[in-house]
Amino acid sequence: MQSFDALYRDSARDLYAYVRTLLRDDASAEDVTALAFERAYRQRTAFDARRGSQRAWLFAIGRNAALDELRRRRRAAPLIADVPDEQVLALDEQAEQSLRRATVRVALDGLAARERELVALKFHGGLTNAELAAVLGTSESNAGTRVHRAVKKLREACNAPS
Amino acid sequence: MRRREHLTPEEARELEAIDLALAGEPVDDDLRELDDLVHEVRATAPEMSPALAARLERLVEHGPESATEPVQPRRSRRWVLVPAAGTVAAAVVALVIVLSNGNGDSSDAVIHGMSGGKDAPARATPGSAAADESAPTSGRRAQRSQSAPAPAASSRSGPAFTPQSARKVERSVFLVLATPKDKVESTADDVVQTVDRFRGIVARSSVAADDRSGGEATFDLRIPTSRVEEALGALSKLGHVAERRQDLRDITASFSSTQERLDEARAERRALLRALGNATTQARIESIRTRLRLVRAQIASAKGQMASLQRRANYSRVSVIVRGNSKAEQVGGTWSPGDAAGDALRVLEVIAGIALIALAVAIPLALLGAAILFGARVTRTRRRESALDPT
Repeated sequence: MQSFDALYRDSARDLYAYVRTLLRDDASAEDVTALAFERAYRQRTAFDARRGSQRAWLFAIGRNAALDELRRRRRAAPLIADVPDEQVLALDEQAEQSLRRATVRVALDGLAARERELVALKFHGGLTNAELAAVLGTSESNAGTRVHRAVKKLREACNAPS
Repeated sequence: MRRREHLTPEEARELEAIDLALAGEPVDDDLRELDDLVHEVRATAPEMSPALAARLERLVEHGPESATEPVQPRRSRRWVLVPAAGTVAAAVVALVIVLSNGNGDSSDAVIHGMSGGKDAPARATPGSAAADESAPTSGRRAQRSQSAPAPAASSRSGPAFTPQSARKVERSVFLVLATPKDKVESTADDVVQTVDRFRGIVARSSVAADDRSGGEATFDLRIPTSRVEEALGALSKLGHVAERRQDLRDITASFSSTQERLDEARAERRALLRALGNATTQARIESIRTRLRLVRAQIASAKGQMASLQRRANYSRVSVIVRGNSKAEQVGGTWSPGDAAGDALRVLEVIAGIALIALAVAIPLALLGAAILFGARVTRTRRRESALDPT
């Protein structure tokens, strides 16, 4: 088993990116990421390599924490998503690359939560289809189909005329 | 509606291209758009703040400082809790059942047991037998056996075995006495003397000698019912009581019906005698005399039956077998390895019984608990997933 330190070095950034994309809120994303690592630390002896990779296990913990946060938030008040500073900067710069990234970001934000999550797990988390299946609790084939569908929607959104 | 789950070859190729792009490897030219998309999305990945990075570093190096949430037990342990609780509950239930049966077993052992020592307490007291007999069961056959006829019990000659004026009970006792093989004959003599002492009758007896086992003596005795308990106590002292059975038969109904027949016959005889005194013709006189002979015969027969029933009620039938036994000296003495093996077997039987009952209760409980936990897990997962549904 990979040491917890190595798991952290390997996954922390990606996990945060995934959680942030799902929650669309910096403060909540930071809390949920920290909570996920804390839970993983406490439950590290319970990890079973036969049920998937350590990375998938960590993402599953992070996903549960993020979904709990989403539910809690839904019960409280609707969140107005943060507007990232980068977006403003990018619009200011008017650079082609920045524009493309802004387009992608807007397209990603426009996706439904389930599709946005799949894209985040795949692109930010870098999970294989098997790992995705373990995180989502579904079959690998189903995970692949769902990811492909989400990516297709993202591509359409990116190519849609603004 | 169930969605299609299988990818077309083109879709699989595109997914493969995404994986290659994520791994930093080149993709086919016609899928360059996907490669670009991967890089653009990756480039937009939110970055951790330095504060979060420092927080996580501390967590990894020192473990959780302050409990953001309480320490969670391992989920697998929670799954074990319900079956474990079920098993404990089942064990308690099994123990209660076994203990309650254990009381019944001990009394059963007294009732149905076929052997026992002299020191064993007598559970089937005359009083209890009387309670059984008091039920109005004409012609009912009440049967009891005792494994341990203690002298104390036999000295208690309760009213149960004494025929009451309203009830007639015939009693039979079967007694097997084990005695050292060289004492069969002397014990047989003692049996006869005991019977005489209680004014009983030896209806039949036989003694068969055998050098190896010591032989066997059998007796068919009649003992006044009023003294039979006392006599049995005395007989039981002559050897080790290997077996004792009692048989009680209520003959009140037979007695009553015979008495009624006798009364009717007597009444008819009186009437016939009066008719005879008033008869005027020879033919009538002959007819009445013929009928009188028949009635007298009926009266004689009924009287005989009454006497027989009375004897059966007044005298108990006691069959005694005195058996030579080389082990008889040990009976009631030391606790032998054979006894230990028997006790050990009994303990194992009880343990197996408890385990079986516990399993019978625990398995359904465990299945129920597992189903409840599974349902709770599915519900929790669905609730979580619902967070992704559009509001």
